[in-house]
Amino acid sequence: MTPVISAHDLTKTYTFHQQRAGLGGALKSLVRRKYETRLAVDRVTFSIGRGEVVGLLGPNGAGKTTTLKMLSGLLYTTSGELQVLDHTPSDRKHDYLRRIALVMGQKTMLWWDVPAMESLLLHKDMYGLSTAAFDRNVAELAELLEVEHLLNVQVRKTSLGERMKLELMAALVHGPEILFLDEPTIGLDVVAKARVRSFLADVNRLRGTTILITSHDMDDIEALCSRVMIIDHGRLQFDGGLDDLVRTAQPRKLVRATYAAPVEVGHLDGVTGVTGVEVSGPTVTLEADRERAGAVMEQLTRLGPLVDLDVADADIEDIMRDLFLRRSTLGDA
Amino acid sequence: MSTVTRNLRVVRRMTAADIAQQSVYRGAWIIFMLANITMPIISLLIWRTALASGAQLPVDERYVTTYFVLLGFVTMATSSWMAGFLAQDIRMGKLSSWMIRPASLLTGFVANNLSEKFLKLFALVPMIGIVWWIFRDSMNIPAGPGRWVLFALSILLGAMLVFTIDILIASLAFWMDDVSALVQARVIIASVLSGAVVPLALMPSWSRGFVDHQPFRYTVSFPVEIVAGQLTGRELLVGLGIQLGYVVVFAAIARLVWSAGIRAYSAVGA
Repeated sequence: MTPVISAHDLTKTYTFHQQRAGLGGALKSLVRRKYETRLAVDRVTFSIGRGEVVGLLGPNGAGKTTTLKMLSGLLYTTSGELQVLDHTPSDRKHDYLRRIALVMGQKTMLWWDVPAMESLLLHKDMYGLSTAAFDRNVAELAELLEVEHLLNVQVRKTSLGERMKLELMAALVHGPEILFLDEPTIGLDVVAKARVRSFLADVNRLRGTTILITSHDMDDIEALCSRVMIIDHGRLQFDGGLDDLVRTAQPRKLVRATYAAPVEVGHLDGVTGVTGVEVSGPTVTLEADRERAGAVMEQLTRLGPLVDLDVADADIEDIMRDLFLRRSTLGDA
Repeated sequence: MSTVTRNLRVVRRMTAADIAQQSVYRGAWIIFMLANITMPIISLLIWRTALASGAQLPVDERYVTTYFVLLGFVTMATSSWMAGFLAQDIRMGKLSSWMIRPASLLTGFVANNLSEKFLKLFALVPMIGIVWWIFRDSMNIPAGPGRWVLFALSILLGAMLVFTIDILIASLAFWMDDVSALVQARVIIASVLSGAVVPLALMPSWSRGFVDHQPFRYTVSFPVEIVAGQLTGRELLVGLGIQLGYVVVFAAIARLVWSAGIRAYSAVGA
């Protein structure tokens, strides 16, 4: 697959000054300031192919938004090589900017006091779209997002969910090849989140748009991304499929068996290679190695008449929490 | 489509939308413009009283009257209020949503400047018309369109000069946490050195060399002087040349500082 994004040893540092709280700190900083340099992104290397949907994950302050800002041309890189659509993003050439879009969940591209259609028409002029192409795109996007009735309503009179849909519409009306999304579902209710996710999946499927998304909502990632990159303390800690991540981070499966009658703990002695065994009345919960999960289930069937038998991966949300917690503990040490 | 054409289209679109938004506040425009014209009228009355009382000034009553009648219009036409807003956008990371789109980052500010001036004209021109009519017998009114064309050209250059000075000051927000003190200093210095408070012709003779050649003269005083009538043809051409030179120099410096600033931009916030 031809990479549309290629980063090699991508690094970004920030310089800032520290100031103690209070009047004393303020006066001291007038005379002498202590400057510090913070490594936000540390020699990150990856490439993304055309049409991929990739999730960029990490705890707050991990460097994922900084990475997204470098990719979209908002920030200059401190060092390393970065090519997106054969451009150096920070050059912000017209040919580059017309082929990308960035949606930031907490910043708006829309004019607040006028209907969204005014902002869309502004994009028509900015991106040099023909009237026919503009009308076609607006009709298609409005139908997919179900916002036809909102196009002529003042933006400030729309709800948060409606506004995010309109933001996505404004970002996609020029048909970008790459869509950068920073927390696109933040603050949305479950219905609006689901709508946005299914829209993004449609955009990727129908238009072949490459999507790079940061989100703290693992449902977004599970619904959209076949590949995830985990950034923490500025370093790329993982790059691979979501399944690989689950296998790597949580090599054991969760098995739950419910019997017709309560189970005695002693009956489980014959079930080998399991951990975290919990018995609660007729329900037995335990963890087993992926490779042994089948054998364990077979053993469980022999313990008595089964009502239900369920095997599952650990929740992705829990995996991420454990992963970040482990890393931050390591980082703090 | 060329970059200039595309940016002009964007400015036209944004100006129209801005006018639509701002026209809601028509009452505010009238009050703004009343305030704008009040100071020059008070100054006009004071200086006319001084002349009538026998004060020896290097200019006559016709010059003073024409100067102050036109002052409110020229001050408004060449003004810019973007420095504080642009600095705020830089500091709060609001520039980001413009930086990812293929248009000049300043189109929004140009459009805002044009749309507000367009609306202010509706409020201001009738007021100036009334003052003009009251003092019509003691004003210098150039015969023929020549001086008026140069007056319009000079106002355009003056507006560009103020706008570029504003960009230059706002660009410092890429490195400084707060440029409001600089913005305020510019306003105070400009109000004196542009001739907005006292005509520069009334400044002490020892200061003439500096006063006549410093950039702020070309933001207000010089366009008014073209009509008020003391400039010879040669002074007028030299003045326009200097004004154009200042626009080019400040634009070049602003561009340099801006480009360096963009490299330092930290795009604060998510």
